[in-house]
Amino acid sequence: MAVITVENLKYRYPHTERLALSGLSFSVEKGEFIGVIGENGAGKSTLAQALIGLVPQFHKGAYGGSVTAAGLQAQTTPVAQMCEKVGLVFQNPFNQLSGAKDTVYEEVAFGMQNLGVERQEMKHRTEETLRRLGIWQYRDRNPFDLSGGQMQRVAIASVLVMQPQILILDEPTSQLDPQGSEEVFRAVGELSRSGITILMIEQKIEKLAAHCDRILLLHQGRQIAFDTPRKIFSMEGLEEKYGVQPPAFTRICRRLDRRLPDHTYPVTRKEAEGLFAERKQKTGSGAAAAEKQERRESHSAQEQEKETAERLPDRANILKQAQNSAAQQPGKTDAQDAQKEAPVFEIQNLCFSYHPQTPVLEGLHLILDRRPTAVIGQNGAGKTTLVKLLKGLLRPVSGQILFYGEDIAGKTVAMLAGEVGYVFQNPDDQIFKYNVLDEVMFGPLNIGMTREKAETEAKKALELVGLSGRETENPYDLELHERKLVAIASVLAMNTQVLILDEPTIAQDCRGRRIIGGIIRRLSQEGRLVLAILHDMDFVAEYFERVIVMAHGQVLADANAAEAFSQKAALAEAALERPYAAQLGERLGLSHTVLTVEELADCLR
Amino acid sequence: MKSISLYVDNGSFLTKVHPFTKLMYIAAAVSVPLLLGRLWAFPCLIAASLCLLAAGGVLKKALPLIAFSFTILITIFLIHGLFNQNNATVLVSLGPLRFYREGLLYALRIGFNIMNMLLSFAVLVLTTRPSDLVEELEKRGFSQRFGYIINSVFQIVPQMTGTMNTITDAQRSRGLETEGSLSTRAKAFLPLISPVVMSSLINTRERAIALEVRGFGSGRKKTWLREREKHRGDSAATIALGILIAVALVFRIAEMIRA
Repeated sequence: MAVITVENLKYRYPHTERLALSGLSFSVEKGEFIGVIGENGAGKSTLAQALIGLVPQFHKGAYGGSVTAAGLQAQTTPVAQMCEKVGLVFQNPFNQLSGAKDTVYEEVAFGMQNLGVERQEMKHRTEETLRRLGIWQYRDRNPFDLSGGQMQRVAIASVLVMQPQILILDEPTSQLDPQGSEEVFRAVGELSRSGITILMIEQKIEKLAAHCDRILLLHQGRQIAFDTPRKIFSMEGLEEKYGVQPPAFTRICRRLDRRLPDHTYPVTRKEAEGLFAERKQKTGSGAAAAEKQERRESHSAQEQEKETAERLPDRANILKQAQNSAAQQPGKTDAQDAQKEAPVFEIQNLCFSYHPQTPVLEGLHLILDRRPTAVIGQNGAGKTTLVKLLKGLLRPVSGQILFYGEDIAGKTVAMLAGEVGYVFQNPDDQIFKYNVLDEVMFGPLNIGMTREKAETEAKKALELVGLSGRETENPYDLELHERKLVAIASVLAMNTQVLILDEPTIAQDCRGRRIIGGIIRRLSQEGRLVLAILHDMDFVAEYFERVIVMAHGQVLADANAAEAFSQKAALAEAALERPYAAQLGERLGLSHTVLTVEELADCLR
Repeated sequence: MKSISLYVDNGSFLTKVHPFTKLMYIAAAVSVPLLLGRLWAFPCLIAASLCLLAAGGVLKKALPLIAFSFTILITIFLIHGLFNQNNATVLVSLGPLRFYREGLLYALRIGFNIMNMLLSFAVLVLTTRPSDLVEELEKRGFSQRFGYIINSVFQIVPQMTGTMNTITDAQRSRGLETEGSLSTRAKAFLPLISPVVMSSLINTRERAIALEVRGFGSGRKKTWLREREKHRGDSAATIALGILIAVALVFRIAEMIRA
């Protein structure tokens, strides 16, 4: 029996022209795990709100059609009653908290109190859920003191304890480290097996493909398809037409035109592995050398230039750069390479703590050069603390940070502003102007650029982030992912030697990710250091040359991307996963770590 | 996050006393000396409050409160000692300044009253978690929405300070000088305050949704997570305090009838 029925659902937000949802019709069976995908602005979050009745009850606007969830009419049943049957986890955990409870434990129980659940039952459910999500040890902490990832777990727990029949999750893992997100997916998968119906909006396509029964593809408010992951991801033109990138495994098989018996492409690692099974047997233990040989042969010269050089960070990238610069400026190659290796930041014996008893960073030594560098590690590893120290926002307890040989201890943050740019995670922490251009010009003007120069730089930055033509709009009228790009542009326009990005890919679809990736490449070609904190391993593998793995305030690994992603022990300790291509490559018996889909496809050809 | 509540969680017996017993104590401490109308009653109750604070291990925390009230008390003594309209008998002369007995007595009464109220409230405030008090009030029919507002103030004020710090960092990162001369600070005002206001507005809206989604206002009978251990001392103390107030009241009425 269908537990969710949506019939010809149409909705338009007040004061807007375009339909946010346009003629959606589908039904979901009890216990199904449904994934919802689509590019930014496709209507995913609006649909989530429509299922629990926030659309139209809270947001008003024009509404047509009907939504029935767990037997209740979403249009008319008060949300406070709907929530007994339908749970909704928001994208931003910060706003999901009640703001009235002092501890995680009480916060999680808040919803049950409102629904009148018995005390013993409340205690039982709270403990069980906190343990399941791995946050039992934080039960007495103030929820607002937790890191983003921990807070997200609290938000999920607070809805889970209400034991809804239907659980809707709006990008619930956007702030989590890779293992953390896997845990959430696993927990949600268990729930669906226990009979709870799940509807999850996610950008993490590979995980969605592995766990979902069916996937709903939306585009500009319209329902494009609702089918099994294999059927959906085997559709032609998914990326070009709808802005959705199929899972890495699907892309690999598509490149090699390897299909399953039903003519679809595999969407999970297991399925892909199965397709290449004969090959796996062939490349046994001693076949490593042959493997390499084969790979070399399979590369035509053209391909190598077009793909490998672009995609492969380390080795090939240096090769390409050498070729390029040799072509353009003969004789300068060595000098440029040397320049790239010249230290920008030298961190010496750095110690830092917020509270004397709990050190965050202990005796850290690190030299950062101009290679694009990704800092990865689990939630609370000290990554943000490290970059804040580099920016001078925090002062070391002991140790030194040298910037081009000069100690930054003597400089104020504003003095460093012209040299080191830092884009904060939340764009709303900085936006205050009434139009996009002024917002982006604010930084450049502060560091002493003339008005004309600032405007030129601002326009250039806006073009880079793909927001040309939006200069006169009010930043608050833009979507979150666009506001993030405005924030990036506002720092880009300052033309700094160093650009620090804190989780730049959160809330971005594959188009946004490509824009940000492009910026990283461009800046590093210009000889500037890009330092980014990331949880998105595939993005790291694709765009970064150097990878620093952190856990518990210490550097566990520091190497080029291929090498860093082959250090399994370090990755495991830092709660990280390897890029999907690397995972599949390993399962198929490749002797070296491949980083990207293109690279793996070439190896398997 | 730095809490703005004055509550000290030291596990003393006072933290375990029911908030209503402490409310009853405040009622008694404030009303009894006023009903009795005798000056000596004030120091008795002030001493009682001080003893309670000491026994609860929070006397040190109460000192700033006392120190703060002294500035007001001194002003009262000066004004009434010198200028009270009933002033007749000179008590002390300091050069040209003459302090009168009537005015000083009047000031003493006010001073005792302030100290008494302050310390008896301190007994409640320093030893009670605000949410506990609100919870007990809600259990007895106090509006859930008002309860939420009171609770959220204790969370949202520190949280806004946190947001403010992040915003300051974000704008400093873009080269904004936030320290220095008055004009520098004035210039920095708008870039710092606008995101705070805007994000609070957005957050308020989101939080309203969050509360709905978590069943706030579902109209069901609410349940409570914490079980307050029934303490025999609580009812005994409440009854004793009630009797004390009643006795004082009877005394006052008797006095009025006699007059």
